[in-house]
Amino acid sequence: MNRYLYDGTADGLLSSIAWILEEEPDPEKVTLRERMDTLFEEGFTIGTDATLAESLFFRLKQHAPDAAHTLYSFMLAEKEGMETSLLHYVSLAFKHGDKVKGYLTHPAVRDIVNVAKKAGRELHRMKGLLRFEKLQDGAYLAKMEPDYNIINPLAYHFSRRLRAQHWFLYDVKRRTAARWNNGTLQFGTIEQFTTPALSEEEKKVQELWKAFFKTIAIPDRKNPHLQKSNMPMKYWKYLVEKQGE
Amino acid sequence: MDTLAKLQILSGAARYDASCASSGSKREGPSCGTGNTSSSGICHSWADDGRCISLLKILLSNDCIYDCAYCVNRSTNPVERASFSAREVIDLTLDFYRRNYIEGLFLSSAVMQSPDQTMERMVRVAEALRTEEQFGGYIHMKIIPGSSSELVRKAGLYADRISVNIELPSQASLQRLAPQKHKHAILEPMALIGREITTSLVERKASHRAPRFAPAGQSTQMIIGASPENDFQILRLSQGLYKKMNLKRVYYSAYVPVIADNRLPVLAAPPLLREHRLYQADWLLRFYGFSAEEILSDDAPHLDESFDPKTAWALRHPEFFPVEINGADYATLLRVPGIGVLSAKRIVAARRFSRITPDGLKKIGVVIKRAKYFITCSGRSFEKPDQPPALIRQRLLLGESSEAPMSILPKQLVLPGLIA
Ligand code: SF4
Repeated sequence: MNRYLYDGTADGLLSSIAWILEEEPDPEKVTLRERMDTLFEEGFTIGTDATLAESLFFRLKQHAPDAAHTLYSFMLAEKEGMETSLLHYVSLAFKHGDKVKGYLTHPAVRDIVNVAKKAGRELHRMKGLLRFEKLQDGAYLAKMEPDYNIINPLAYHFSRRLRAQHWFLYDVKRRTAARWNNGTLQFGTIEQFTTPALSEEEKKVQELWKAFFKTIAIPDRKNPHLQKSNMPMKYWKYLVEKQGE
Repeated sequence: MDTLAKLQILSGAARYDASCASSGSKREGPSCGTGNTSSSGICHSWADDGRCISLLKILLSNDCIYDCAYCVNRSTNPVERASFSAREVIDLTLDFYRRNYIEGLFLSSAVMQSPDQTMERMVRVAEALRTEEQFGGYIHMKIIPGSSSELVRKAGLYADRISVNIELPSQASLQRLAPQKHKHAILEPMALIGREITTSLVERKASHRAPRFAPAGQSTQMIIGASPENDFQILRLSQGLYKKMNLKRVYYSAYVPVIADNRLPVLAAPPLLREHRLYQADWLLRFYGFSAEEILSDDAPHLDESFDPKTAWALRHPEFFPVEINGADYATLLRVPGIGVLSAKRIVAARRFSRITPDGLKKIGVVIKRAKYFITCSGRSFEKPDQPPALIRQRLLLGESSEAPMSILPKQLVLPGLIA
C-alpha cells in the first residue's frame, strides 16, 4: 500500500488527489496525509500545483456536479486528517458519477458526505441568521463567527440578494472580510478591526424587530428547547433579537 | 398611534396563522433592487415558541366589520384596533429585509370597509414594493373573500404565494359561524387563482417574458374542531382541493376558544392531536400516493388517536406485508410505517451498489424501530414472521410510548383563522 504526503494546503490536497488518480492503478488502496516533516515520516511527497487542483475540480463538476458540490462543502469545513477518505470519495465519484452520494454504506463516502452536510447546514443557517447593521455612512455591516469557513459562498448569496446596498461581511475569528459595492464582490483580511458608528435609524429599526420577534410567538406555547435546537446559542451573540438575554 | 404600537397589535393578531413557509419560489431580484427568493426557503429566526420566523407576518388592519364567531377580531369583540398605512408596511418590510431579518412579507387583513376596499389597499402595498421599490423578496398575500377578480389577478401578479382561507369544512358550518362569508366568495377566487397559475405556467414555457402568477402557488387554511365535520369529510375536501384547485398546501388549525359563543363547541383543550393526525394524513395524500378513501371510510371516519395514519393503514392491511427491502419499488417502500421519503430514497440509492444488509440499513440512517415488523431484508425478517396484527399493534404501542407523540405538537399549534 503506497503512502503519499502533501503540504497541508487546499491546493496541495486537490492536486495530490489529481496526481494519484492519474498515476495509481487502484487509488482506493493508497493513503494520503499532510506532511509533518518528522524524522521518520514515511511516504512520497507530492508537489502542489494550483492548476492541477483547479482542473480536478472542474472535471469533477462536469462529471458529477453533485459530488463536486459535496467536495466544495467539505473543503469549507477545513477538516484535517480526512485526506484519505476524500481521495477515495473523489475516486468513487469519477467511477460512479453522482450516484456516489447514495453509496452511504461505504465508510469514506459516509464520512465525507457527513462533514460536507454539516458545513452545508451551517451555510444555510447563516443565510438566515446573519444580521446587518446600518452604519453612519450608509453601508451595512454583518459580523459573524461561524464554525466553518463559509464567507465565500455566503457573500455570493448576498451579492444576489442585497444588490442595491453597499455591505460588508466580517468573520471575526478568521479576520476575513467580504465587501460588495457597485456590483463587485471583493474578499480580503482585516488585521485591525474597529467597530464603526451605527446610523441613527439603526436603533429604531432594531427596536421594531425586537418587538415583532416578541409578539409573533404564541405566549402559552413557550418552547425554549425547540428554539435552541433550531437556533443554537452559539449564534446568539450577533442576533439583534437575542441581545440582553 | 406610532408604528411600534401598531406593529405590536397587528403582528400579535397575525401570530396564529399557520403557514410560515417561504419556499417554493425562485425569483431573481432586479439588478438595481433589493431581494430575491430562494427555492428552499430560509428561516431567519426562531420565536420563543420554537416556530420558524421567515416572513414579516402582519395584518394591514384588525378593524373588522365582520363577526365570525371564532375570531378575536370580530366586530363585537372589544379589542384595541389599529391599521397600518401602506408606507408603514413598505418601510418595515424594506428595513427588515435589508438587515436580513426576513425573507419577505406575509400580508393579511381584517375586512375594513368592504372586501374590495381592503383588498385594494393590500394590493397597493404589494404593487408599490414591486414597482416603486424594486423589491424582489417573497410576498404572500391573503385574498379577502368576496373581492373582485380584477384585484385577485393583480394580487397574483405581485405575490409569490396567495391564499384564500376556506375557514370551515362545510357550507353549513360557514353559514352558522361566519355568516358574512359565502362559499362561492371563497371558492371562486380559488378556482380563478388555480386557472391563472396554470395559464401562466403554460405561457412561461413558451416565453420567459410571460408574467408569473403566484409562482409559489396557492394555499388555504381551515379550522378543525369548531364545527361537526369528521376527518373523512375533511380529508376528502383536501383531496379535492389538491386535485381540482391545484393547491400547494392545506393548513389545518386546531380550534382554540378565544371568546365564548353559544354556536361554538366547548372544548377542554384545543384538538391538537387531531390536527397533528390530519397533517400526517395530508402528507400521505401529497407525497405517499395514498387516497383519502384508503385512509378513512364512512364506517371509520376518524383518524386513529394512537397510531399515525400510515401505521393504522398497515395494521389493517397485513396482506401487503412484509415488504422486501432489497426488492420492493419506491412506491411500495413508502407504504412501510417508519420509512419516509428520505429513507425510501436512500434505500433505492444504496441498492445500486450492493444488497443492503440489516447493518447497512443502519449505516445509511434508516431507523427500523417501527419498520421492523413490516419488512424483510434478503428474505430474513427482523421479527418473528406472521405475527397477528393485534399483537403488532400492542407491541408498537408499548415500544412507542417513549416516543411521546405530544412532544411534536407545539410546533403545529395555531389558533383559528382570524384572517378574513
Ligand atoms: S375571521 Fe377575518 S373576517 Fe372574520 S372576524 Fe376575523 S378578521 Fe374579520
